[in-house]
Amino acid sequence: MTVKTENLEALMKQSLDGDKHAYAQLLQETTRFLRPYLAQRLNAASEVDDVLQEILISIHKARHTYDGERPYKPWAYAIAKFRLQDHLRAHYADQLHHAVELSEVENELQENVTKSDISYESISGEIEKLPPRQAAILQMMHREGYTAKEVAEKTGMNESAVKVAAHRAYKILRKVLER
Amino acid sequence: MANIEELLDSLAQDAAPVKPAPHPLMLSLGWVAAAVGYIVLSLWISGLRPDLLQKFHEPWFVAEMLVLALIVLATSLSAAVLAFPDLHQMRKAAVAPAGLFAIFIVTIFFAWRADAPPAPLPMHSFECTVSITLFALLPAVWTFLSMRRFASTHCRWAGSVALLFAFSVGALWLRMYELNDSILHVIEWHYLPMLGIGLIGWWMGKRVLKW
Repeated sequence: MTVKTENLEALMKQSLDGDKHAYAQLLQETTRFLRPYLAQRLNAASEVDDVLQEILISIHKARHTYDGERPYKPWAYAIAKFRLQDHLRAHYADQLHHAVELSEVENELQENVTKSDISYESISGEIEKLPPRQAAILQMMHREGYTAKEVAEKTGMNESAVKVAAHRAYKILRKVLER
Repeated sequence: MANIEELLDSLAQDAAPVKPAPHPLMLSLGWVAAAVGYIVLSLWISGLRPDLLQKFHEPWFVAEMLVLALIVLATSLSAAVLAFPDLHQMRKAAVAPAGLFAIFIVTIFFAWRADAPPAPLPMHSFECTVSITLFALLPAVWTFLSMRRFASTHCRWAGSVALLFAFSVGALWLRMYELNDSILHVIEWHYLPMLGIGLIGWWMGKRVLKW
């Protein structure tokens, strides 16, 4: 059963007086209207659940800033938006942290092509264990002698993406070979 | 999903009675009252500028003081509103200082135009900025501490406005204390530093008001 909007304010007022039942009902309703809001903005269902939990905890912590006299939903949405932005900021910062600098990739590609002491054949077993796309790129570049540009043309990928995939493959191989 | 249900149960079990936060108007009134008390006490200790009564006969000085006092009121209300997640649904109050700062710039411009021939520059310069900043420390501390009890979702903006409130209190005090007629000096060393203070507040807000 969906509680009418005007009743959310009443529920919050009762919650502030310590009514556990009203508070449980209010949080249920809040979850009900926030879930679709988050689902529209996040990809994975697990992410939606994580952010929703954050928001519910924040609502709980900040409930003294609501007096029951003004509409409840704008207050709850303000907190939801704040926590969602926090989440997205952390998410993108993390992605940026793991992003690969193209110049770094290019240096490494030259280094690997010209100075490598390890032949493709000697580590072909390890290359086969790589994700299929990375393995195929290394095979074309180091066994068949294609350049990154030619690999890009053959696979329909863009050249930078080929270089980044090759760089990631080198990183994995380096870790494996250093063991 | 099960986690959410568990969380809802645990939060509901934790629903002890809570005293709602005061209305932003009351909060702001408290800060302004404290600021007035602080200025009066400081002037009582330091003394007023000797020509203050005479200065109140100059229309542009009166206008400057009046708009500065309004900035104190507007920034305190804005900071109070910004301490609430939904700005207490009073968005206009949150942006009110912007309009007053615009009026202040116009007022100062006319005060500068009226300053002919220009009053001589005082011997000191940056000391005024330092004095205002030191004077503003206490209001800044009490405003930030008070705001931390709430839940701002606009931390940077809130920090900036809170520091501008504190600095305006300091600027008001210095105008009533310092014997100085040079509007150029006042612009350069009393009011222009407000830009820097706003930026420092922007930086501090994220660190101090994060919850």
